[in-house]
Amino acid sequence: MSVIAPVTNISRCSLHDGPGIRTVVYFKGCSLKCEWCHNPETQAFKKQILYAESKCIHCGKCIEICPEHHVIEGNDMHFLREGCSACGRCADACPSLALSLCGEGKTADELVDELKKDQHYYALSGGGVTFSGGECLMYPEFVAEVAKKCRENAIHTAIESAFHVPWENVEAVLPVIDLFFADLKIPDPEKHRRFTGKDNVQIIENIRKLSERAENIILRIPVIPGVNDSAEDIDGFADIIKTFGKGITGVELLKYNNLAEAKYAIAGMEYTKFADNAQADEEMEKLRAALAEKSGRNCFFV
Amino acid sequence: MEWKEGCIWGIIILEGEKEMFDILKYIHDNIDQKLDAEDVAKRFGYSKWHFCSKFHSYTGKSFVKYVRHYRLQLAAMDILSGKKAIDVAMRYSYDTPGGFNKAFLAEFGCLPREYKKHAKETQLYYERRKLTMYNLTDRCEALRSRVMGKNDYEDFYCFQYAVYSFLGMMEGAEKNLSNEEVVAYGISNVLKKFNPVIMPGELLVGFHFPDSKYWEYLTPLDVKNPYEMTEKNGISKEDTDTYLAAIKEAPVLLKTISPEGTQMEREAGIEWAAMGRCIDSNHSVINYEKVLKLGYKGLLKEVEAYEAKNGTNPVYAAMKMICIAACNMGKKYAELAKKIKESGDEQYQAEDLDYIISACSNVPENPASSFREALQALFFAHIVNTWEDHINANSLGRLDQILYPYYKADIEKGILTKEEAFELICCLWIKLYLNYDVQQSCVGGTAPDGSSQVNELSYMMLDATEQLDFIRCLSVRYSQNTDKRFLNRALEVVGHVQKGVPFFFNDDVMIPALVSKGISYEDACDYTQIGCVETVIPGKSNPHAVTGETNLLKAIEYVLGNGHSMMYPDFKPGVETGELDSLDTYEKFYDAVKAQVYHILDLTCSIIKKYRECSVVNSPRPYKSLLTEGCIETGRDFNDAGAKYDYYQVMLGGIPNLADSLEVIREFVYKQKKYTLQELKSILENDYPDESVRLEFVNKAAKFGNDIDSVDLIAADIINESCDYLEEFSEKYALSFHAQPFTFLWMVDHGRESAASPDGRRKGEIIAYSVSPMQGRDFNGLTSLLNSIAKMPTKRTPGTTSAIVEVDPKLFTDRNIPMLTDILLASSAKGLENVQFNTINADTLIEAQKYPEKYNNLAVRVSGFSQKFNLLSKELQNHIIGRTKHACL
Repeated sequence: MSVIAPVTNISRCSLHDGPGIRTVVYFKGCSLKCEWCHNPETQAFKKQILYAESKCIHCGKCIEICPEHHVIEGNDMHFLREGCSACGRCADACPSLALSLCGEGKTADELVDELKKDQHYYALSGGGVTFSGGECLMYPEFVAEVAKKCRENAIHTAIESAFHVPWENVEAVLPVIDLFFADLKIPDPEKHRRFTGKDNVQIIENIRKLSERAENIILRIPVIPGVNDSAEDIDGFADIIKTFGKGITGVELLKYNNLAEAKYAIAGMEYTKFADNAQADEEMEKLRAALAEKSGRNCFFV
Repeated sequence: MEWKEGCIWGIIILEGEKEMFDILKYIHDNIDQKLDAEDVAKRFGYSKWHFCSKFHSYTGKSFVKYVRHYRLQLAAMDILSGKKAIDVAMRYSYDTPGGFNKAFLAEFGCLPREYKKHAKETQLYYERRKLTMYNLTDRCEALRSRVMGKNDYEDFYCFQYAVYSFLGMMEGAEKNLSNEEVVAYGISNVLKKFNPVIMPGELLVGFHFPDSKYWEYLTPLDVKNPYEMTEKNGISKEDTDTYLAAIKEAPVLLKTISPEGTQMEREAGIEWAAMGRCIDSNHSVINYEKVLKLGYKGLLKEVEAYEAKNGTNPVYAAMKMICIAACNMGKKYAELAKKIKESGDEQYQAEDLDYIISACSNVPENPASSFREALQALFFAHIVNTWEDHINANSLGRLDQILYPYYKADIEKGILTKEEAFELICCLWIKLYLNYDVQQSCVGGTAPDGSSQVNELSYMMLDATEQLDFIRCLSVRYSQNTDKRFLNRALEVVGHVQKGVPFFFNDDVMIPALVSKGISYEDACDYTQIGCVETVIPGKSNPHAVTGETNLLKAIEYVLGNGHSMMYPDFKPGVETGELDSLDTYEKFYDAVKAQVYHILDLTCSIIKKYRECSVVNSPRPYKSLLTEGCIETGRDFNDAGAKYDYYQVMLGGIPNLADSLEVIREFVYKQKKYTLQELKSILENDYPDESVRLEFVNKAAKFGNDIDSVDLIAADIINESCDYLEEFSEKYALSFHAQPFTFLWMVDHGRESAASPDGRRKGEIIAYSVSPMQGRDFNGLTSLLNSIAKMPTKRTPGTTSAIVEVDPKLFTDRNIPMLTDILLASSAKGLENVQFNTINADTLIEAQKYPEKYNNLAVRVSGFSQKFNLLSKELQNHIIGRTKHACL
């Protein structure tokens, strides 16, 4: 019997989440609630119905099935999320894919089969799989099993995690992961709690431990305007990074963007905009240089 | 057909070949042990020799190479994950770090530590700038802007072809000569009478007289005041009078016959389901090498020798006539150059003129003695070819291979610099410039011994294409053995030029596909393209490209109508496959579809056969015969099966839509039983009265192009079956038919003539291009799209199986290009045959629709060729905008 985890998306032919050509796997459920989250539909652990209004053709198929949660008002079709059990029948009936069920379980074997479809591409380019968010380390048994099978097939394995999980979860995947992307969000614990719902004590502790034991860790800092880009923030990051072990091979600063805005509406959530545009290269370069100098690490931005 | 039985690391193992699977698994499991072919062979009960040959035929690699390749890939991953090179070397049985480094360098082009360093930014150590990149010279800039601006050649040249060729043929017809000789009279008269022109700055001379807008020729009937123009062109008043008087009588110059056809065939043609024709014109690559080696004088001698041996006939008479006339072609330019030099015209450089005098005094009459002469002779030979049956897709073939011996000799002798060679290539590219260019040429390739044929000229030709930045129909041949740097460079040109050139042909598939059709291995290795993606053995074949054109999607209509068309219900072009009630299982329905496909192909082949009989009489091609192996030896014309390889390419259209439709029927009619066939038929007849049903069909069943076996394998099976049928018809009609899953531009016409189809396609909507997915239905990423296409039985379709892939231009960064190369190579290992990239994003195209004047040089990949976006119909423009753009984020 294969382990099961809720996978929200399998994104093939990604060139940016690790070396080579990769398949990125997204999981449902996260221990943090970052205000700038790029995959808001993956925050909740429970299955949920997503509704993309722009795709709706008002055919009413969903009302036939579930009149409690789907109503039409004039020219508008509304999905009432309150009390929805996410049984998925409306999504099955929806012909235009406006309604979809997010978070169905996948077995490890199913996922491995899907990953193997691009095996040639990984082999030539040195690519592989990247387990990503929500929080992939919420499913350590599943990730470990899939990663183990990937290894058997010579597929490179990476995870991208916020590390706000018990250390056992990290330990479970440690032997089968080739590359770790570890997110650092805000250095100050209180501020971290304000923007993500939790403080960063466990995160820093985990990364520190990991950096003593794993060899290939890249730290990722999403630079959010007005949140973590001040001089104090950079100092704070540097202080934390300095305490990490030799496993850290680099620090990646990620530019801010508003690409996820539409996803919030689909998931029925409020979007918080921190800036209208991404930072200019010059601005990122300043941050990068400052952090590199203070932390003594190899820093770059993308 | 089960393709997924075993798929080990790029090698697809068919059902029933479990042993190979076990062998590979054994190798993989023991990759860190010493592996020896003999031991492995013994373990599986083979002799070493037998084992090695079996292994090679499956994996395309020798045992040693395979093991090395696999080890190094694993080693690279270890290196990336931070292991020390020395440990990795030990793990994979390298005795010394030096040996490991050397092997690593050979595989990846860099040392392990560099590999790791680079992995952060680029996946592969990428040295492209070290390969010399050439820049356009001022001369080429000037020549380029001249051809791309108003075509002032027209003032000098237009009408000459039309008038002289007509007058020549009339002379032959009046003498009541054979058709071969009448055609030769036409060509010879143009050769005799044309007025040479040399433009300032030119190094390469000659012109093939097209109408500037297209590939057709301008005639005096196209303008209001022909005399003014003919005078300007140096055509005498007498010739103009004769021409104008004669052409009004519309004389018949050639003895022609027309095909007998049944009403049914004509109507099937009207519906575009089974268009058979016999394309006997302007799709060729002649033996240019022979012109360079022998000159027309030498060719004349050869013809005379065969004539003496075989006896005289009209084919030889026509060949001789053309040889004699063509000998003078160069001299006309040499004389003109002398005159200009004497006149002291300051627009011209004496140096340029001297060069023209020297080259043109020698070629094309005599063998070319230098790179410059070779290039000039080649262009002359091409011009004469276009004077036989117009420009269109008369193509040039493997220019880097043809010209390389001359280049190499000149460089060694020190009489040519690399910069000069580059400039000359640019000059040829400029000469060939047309708004619509399907005069293909090809670079790269694989020699019979498996080695790569990429040479310096291959790179230079890519550079010229990039630097000139206009549409130049160029393709790249590659295999798993091709230097990755070459493919990187080619993809970079795709990204920089953004006009869909060059496009890519996989030798590992093309060569076996050709061999499967009876073409010798050595000849197959020399294949090249004509026009779009049609395959030809240069100087050895008459490919009858795009001869049969089918719309297999029609099979659905014919099954649902029990033989009747849904577009024209009174019309019964299909066969009876039973009332709908009798089709009570999917298998029965599918068999019915196959029966209709069989019928459509049969009809198509039978029509080709009829047209072929006429083509033998109506369309003699003495010049192509002269330069095609087989014709000269036998004294038979190119269009009378004279060529060594004479075959007919039958285009299989509508396959993605047919596969998607069958998947919908399987899912909703037979599996879910949500609709009966009768209900489905009524939905389609009424063109989807309920949009929610259409969207259900679009969204709730798998679609081709997303790496989903259920539907992809339907497409593969249809192609496979079609290949079987065509083999059967090859015997039935005693002609060789090659399958070509390619639609050219006719996806528009096919769509217009097709009723709504179960895949959610509305009535009249454009069908999918070739084996690209229906536009907008591929959403699972670039690799899954390529995997889908690679599942087609491409080793049976030398025609080729063509696909256009839309990619975001932003993808072509220095960092990503090596990975795009990997994507191309990996999908090729799986069986991808031909891929063309379109790199313009939808926003730019929409903008260009609104403001065409701002986007004059914007070109897109339309079909097997690129075209200026502004020259496309709105319908086609929308089709291209609708194709999914892959971004790989």
